[in-house]
Amino acid sequence: MTKTYTPSRPIWCAGCGDFGVLEALVTALEELEVPPHNRMIIAGIGCSGSLQNNLPCFGYHAPHGRVLPTATGAKLANPKLTVVGVGGDGDGYAIGAGHLVHALKRNPGVTYIVMNNGTYGLTKGQASPTSSTGYENNIEEDLEPIMLGLSIPGSTFLARGYSGQPEQLLRLTLAALRHTAAGRGMSYLEVLSPCVTYNDTYREWRTSVYDIDSDAGYDPNNRAAAFSRMAELREQKRLPLGLIFQEKRSALETLALNHDFAEPALQDITDPRLFTAYREAKQSFMK
Amino acid sequence: MNNPKTQLEDLNVIVSGQGGDGSLTVINILADVLRSSGMRAYTERDVLSRIRGGITAATLRVYNGDRQCIGSHIDLLVAFDLLAINKYAYRLNDRSIIIYDNSGGSLPDDSGVPEGARVICVPFSRCAVSNFRRDLYKNSISFAVVGRLLGLKDGDMRRSFEKRFARRGAQSLKYNLDALEVGCELAEEVGVTVNNGLYEIVSTDSKPHMLITGNEAVAFGFAVAGGRFFAGYPITPSTEIMDWLMAWLPKFGGVVRQAEDELSVINMAIGAALTGTRTMVATSGPGLSLMQEGIGQLGMAEIPLVVVDAQRSGPSTGMPTKPEQSDINQMSYGGHGDFPRIVLAPGTPEDCFYMTVEACNLAEQYQVPVIMALDQGLSQNLATIDPIELEKVVIKRGKRLDAESLEGIDVYKRYAFSEDGISAFTEPGTPGGMWLVTGNEHDEFGHVSTDPDNRVRMVQKRQSKIQSMQADLPHAVTYGIETADIGFVGVGITYGVIHEAMDILAERNIHAQYHQLRTIWPMLEETPEFTRRCRHVFVVEYNSTGQLATLIVAHGGEEAHIHSVLAYDGMPLQAEDLVQEVIELMNLRNHKRSE
Repeated sequence: MTKTYTPSRPIWCAGCGDFGVLEALVTALEELEVPPHNRMIIAGIGCSGSLQNNLPCFGYHAPHGRVLPTATGAKLANPKLTVVGVGGDGDGYAIGAGHLVHALKRNPGVTYIVMNNGTYGLTKGQASPTSSTGYENNIEEDLEPIMLGLSIPGSTFLARGYSGQPEQLLRLTLAALRHTAAGRGMSYLEVLSPCVTYNDTYREWRTSVYDIDSDAGYDPNNRAAAFSRMAELREQKRLPLGLIFQEKRSALETLALNHDFAEPALQDITDPRLFTAYREAKQSFMK
Repeated sequence: MNNPKTQLEDLNVIVSGQGGDGSLTVINILADVLRSSGMRAYTERDVLSRIRGGITAATLRVYNGDRQCIGSHIDLLVAFDLLAINKYAYRLNDRSIIIYDNSGGSLPDDSGVPEGARVICVPFSRCAVSNFRRDLYKNSISFAVVGRLLGLKDGDMRRSFEKRFARRGAQSLKYNLDALEVGCELAEEVGVTVNNGLYEIVSTDSKPHMLITGNEAVAFGFAVAGGRFFAGYPITPSTEIMDWLMAWLPKFGGVVRQAEDELSVINMAIGAALTGTRTMVATSGPGLSLMQEGIGQLGMAEIPLVVVDAQRSGPSTGMPTKPEQSDINQMSYGGHGDFPRIVLAPGTPEDCFYMTVEACNLAEQYQVPVIMALDQGLSQNLATIDPIELEKVVIKRGKRLDAESLEGIDVYKRYAFSEDGISAFTEPGTPGGMWLVTGNEHDEFGHVSTDPDNRVRMVQKRQSKIQSMQADLPHAVTYGIETADIGFVGVGITYGVIHEAMDILAERNIHAQYHQLRTIWPMLEETPEFTRRCRHVFVVEYNSTGQLATLIVAHGGEEAHIHSVLAYDGMPLQAEDLVQEVIELMNLRNHKRSE
């Protein structure tokens, strides 16, 4: 076997929530038997943007905020890959917020995991889009990404986990990967992942999280009810965890590709048989 | 009475009115029907960035031989209003014919039409409204008068309408054919009968031609080069590249996505390129500005991608529908940090096709961004070209390792140091080929690194690709008399006017040569060398600061020999403009000599 890069040890602070996300992702990929060469992990900029270095995969470190367009392009070009986007709240909700909206609208077959710690850890603790009012002189209301996701009619899988609850996090990571593997499109998993150095929210989140998976009356297939419940819980200052919404629809790549051909990345572009098709195009300029 | 007919050799027609009058449609149908008769055609548009209103014009030149620009004077002007005559009167002469829509009143005496020119007044608009209740059909009505004057047969005109309007539905076709009929009757009334057309259309060249724009040629070239992923965001004047690919690329197994902005465009493209798929994006200056972040990433992470910049008048929103070549600096120097890149510049639609193939090859062979510099004129002007030879297309994919070839290798490093600066690529999905690709500085495996020695070696590795690629970069083509001491340099739409200016100068016994450079960056030695070889070099470019000339001088060009000819008023240059520049210089020189 050819030797290639050796996964490095995480560079995160001891106690960082991102360890939990890495653990859940590696376990889930192994459980689903996704071999390293079929994993494409696309990471953003920030502490969480180094996760791909810590496991065997095809790893890509995108410019700040550009995880989702990159993941979309990769999946469309080669749907056989398991494409996972990872990043933080600054990457996904500030500089990359526009892409998040449009990725949910497009529904490409990618799993997107946002490690939300409510701060910019790598630049030493500035307010992020999900920082609470008052954090580092933040005078703005925080963004509610799950409600944003619900408001986009194209979204098909929305979930929230918490690094402090690893069993549920693994279950949600598996569900997200399975949703996408089943050809239903984008699975969006936000993980509450505390920053022990600049915004240690373990204590706060331990009491404010609310497990919606064990709420018998909750229906994750009803968008309107989900939205209303999310708004309610927000008013009660609770953070819902679990599978929040899921819908069965076809992934972007299923709709966008011409399935008479192999996947774009896997085609033999030097195949001389293609010349028949090219000649037809040429004729269109000659008649 | 039959007029004596002349053989159609070289004719310039302008159709002008308000935006939405359908000037472009008349010209495009005319171009198509005339090229079907074996004539060559070239069209140009002068439009505004809006769908209705504002003075617009479409121009057609038909000729026997090879012309890639519009002539300086107009033989036939179809004016839907007085403004059109006011605007173009200066390009008319006593042999010109003006077809004037007098629905709004007769032509005033001070219209500017030169004495001796023939004016035919036809109330197109009034006729359109009375027959079809819609002004919209006046262009189809006018087509009959123009067609007959040029010597087209009524049957050929009908066929060209069927071809053009059939795809818009049976009703649209019917109304337009009816309008053509009405036009023929009107033509009779004003004395333009089937028999007294002015020209006889005899082609000296029986070969079939392609009628194509630079944008379409780029799109087609990309598909034939094996391009399978394209992302875009609508922006004038590049949009037709995306439009063509949306229609055709899926037929070859490719995919096209329209993204939310150019940041998304270039990153989607990066995602596709990372899987080993041949990928291209196209935009104009404002979009290229947004893409600079991604272009830097391509340079650092060594990802192949072709980026087309159909330049338009800038800065900022500028004049979106007007030609300019003012992104030369942005293409050559844009982005932060140092990284290798290639900037290519085709001169004709034919060149656009073959150069796009080369661009795709170069991007993958050297794992760098390749930017193609087009401009509004080259992008959108429709021209006849010799049929593209598909068999000439050669696909080169650079250093790649598949699972089998990896088996013979102990250690695979995505960014392995190498003699030529290029490290082998493996497609995701290849067992044993895993990599880390990053925009951070990195070691050979792709692990983030700030080690000073590694940093220096990595910078040098990337830079060394510039040396490695020299032999594969597209060379300039030099036309004209090799010993002439007057030289021209220009890219993009300047190709046609420079050729025509040289022909006019040759008639006056002034000889010149033209260096059509095709690689702007890294600039090949041949270009500065040309400016040393010629005593007077006219660098013709569409910007106000002489970006191309400055670049040539920076690479060792002879500044004292260079005369910049700059256009930035949004209007296409005419050959006469260049001839005047040369004549003035000659006069100045003669004057100096006689002193």
